[in-house]
Amino acid sequence: MAKIQRHWFTLVVSMLAGCAPAGGRHSPRAIAPPVVPLTADGVHALVASPGARATLVNLWATWCAPCREEMPALLKVARARRAEGLRLVLISTDAEDQLPQVARFLAAQGVTDTSYLAAGSEMAFIDGLDPRWSGALPATFVYDGAGRLEAFWEGAANEARFDQSIQTALTHSIATEKPTP
Amino acid sequence: MNSIRHPRLVLVAVALLVAVTARARAQAAPSPASPATPTGGADVARPMALAIGQPAPMRETRMKVVDGRERSIAAVAGKKGTLVIFMCKHCPWVKQWQRRIARIGNAAQAQGVGVIAVNANDPAAYPEDDFEPMKAQAKQLGFKFPYVVDATSEVARAFGATRTPEVFLFDAEGRLVYHGAVDDNARDEKAVQNPWLKQAIDAVVVDKVVATAETKMFGCGIKFRGAS
Repeated sequence: MAKIQRHWFTLVVSMLAGCAPAGGRHSPRAIAPPVVPLTADGVHALVASPGARATLVNLWATWCAPCREEMPALLKVARARRAEGLRLVLISTDAEDQLPQVARFLAAQGVTDTSYLAAGSEMAFIDGLDPRWSGALPATFVYDGAGRLEAFWEGAANEARFDQSIQTALTHSIATEKPTP
Repeated sequence: MNSIRHPRLVLVAVALLVAVTARARAQAAPSPASPATPTGGADVARPMALAIGQPAPMRETRMKVVDGRERSIAAVAGKKGTLVIFMCKHCPWVKQWQRRIARIGNAAQAQGVGVIAVNANDPAAYPEDDFEPMKAQAKQLGFKFPYVVDATSEVARAFGATRTPEVFLFDAEGRLVYHGAVDDNARDEKAVQNPWLKQAIDAVVVDKVVATAETKMFGCGIKFRGAS
């Protein structure tokens, strides 16, 4: 019950944050997306859940300049690839009391889908997601439709790198899809 | 989002979705490997960090100190051990930890552990990480150990360091005995439960085994020189 109350609080904070001036390229009245806590296990479940031919998981933070800088390119590619079956999972690593800032940044970027906040201890989250990840931000993981890791890198990327890794994951997914009877 | 008037219902729906998908995954694969388990075909662009037990690489490489002299890791090595700290100035996470880094580093040096702080960031990406700001940072923090520039980022690459702050502690024989974070709470020193680096130094000084040899916390990715 406590967890549910916490999630409810999170949603309310996110929605209220959306009412504040966003200060970004989108309308200052842009509505912030819901931001909900997610553990590393939750990420794995989400990545393996049906409904996408590829999933890109991006770890970012409001305090991280390269994270903020790469976000427009990432969102541009994600929007362009959405119809082909790309699922975008944005996970902020900000502290819980930074939620209003997280929601405001996402609103300013025009993000409307549910977004996430890394939950649990930092080390458990990092190692739970992938032991090879050092915790450096930004970090990006790209999975195919079956939840197999296709690419992982630390550091900022440009539009071409995002697009190429997504294309590779989509191609592998389509190649391994079973034909409909 | 204007249509969401019942956040509790949305929460229940999200919880159900996660539960159903997790169950479906479990049913589909009775003994599954984690989907994020490293696979042979994955394109992983990340250097391997130095392994516990390994010696420091590029020990003899001389690097410019903020006081204008040059120092290498070998030159600062202490009788009890050596601490190499990858840090910088611009990173918000370094800013949270830097007073602890100064205090722990100064104390370690007094205990016979040689200390060197290394900035491998490209100042073209972060002007705040250039030489002059580093000088001011070292002075402000009262570093009693050298703060040097890794002018090619090759030392950081050789260590497999990728974030700031990231620390590597070597014992008296020069073997890596601790790698990772300063402690488990960047934002609130009073709330720290695991002062990992301090515990590791305390162990090295009395030649005992370090209880927790590897840790991780979120940090700023190093902007390597010469990288696109």
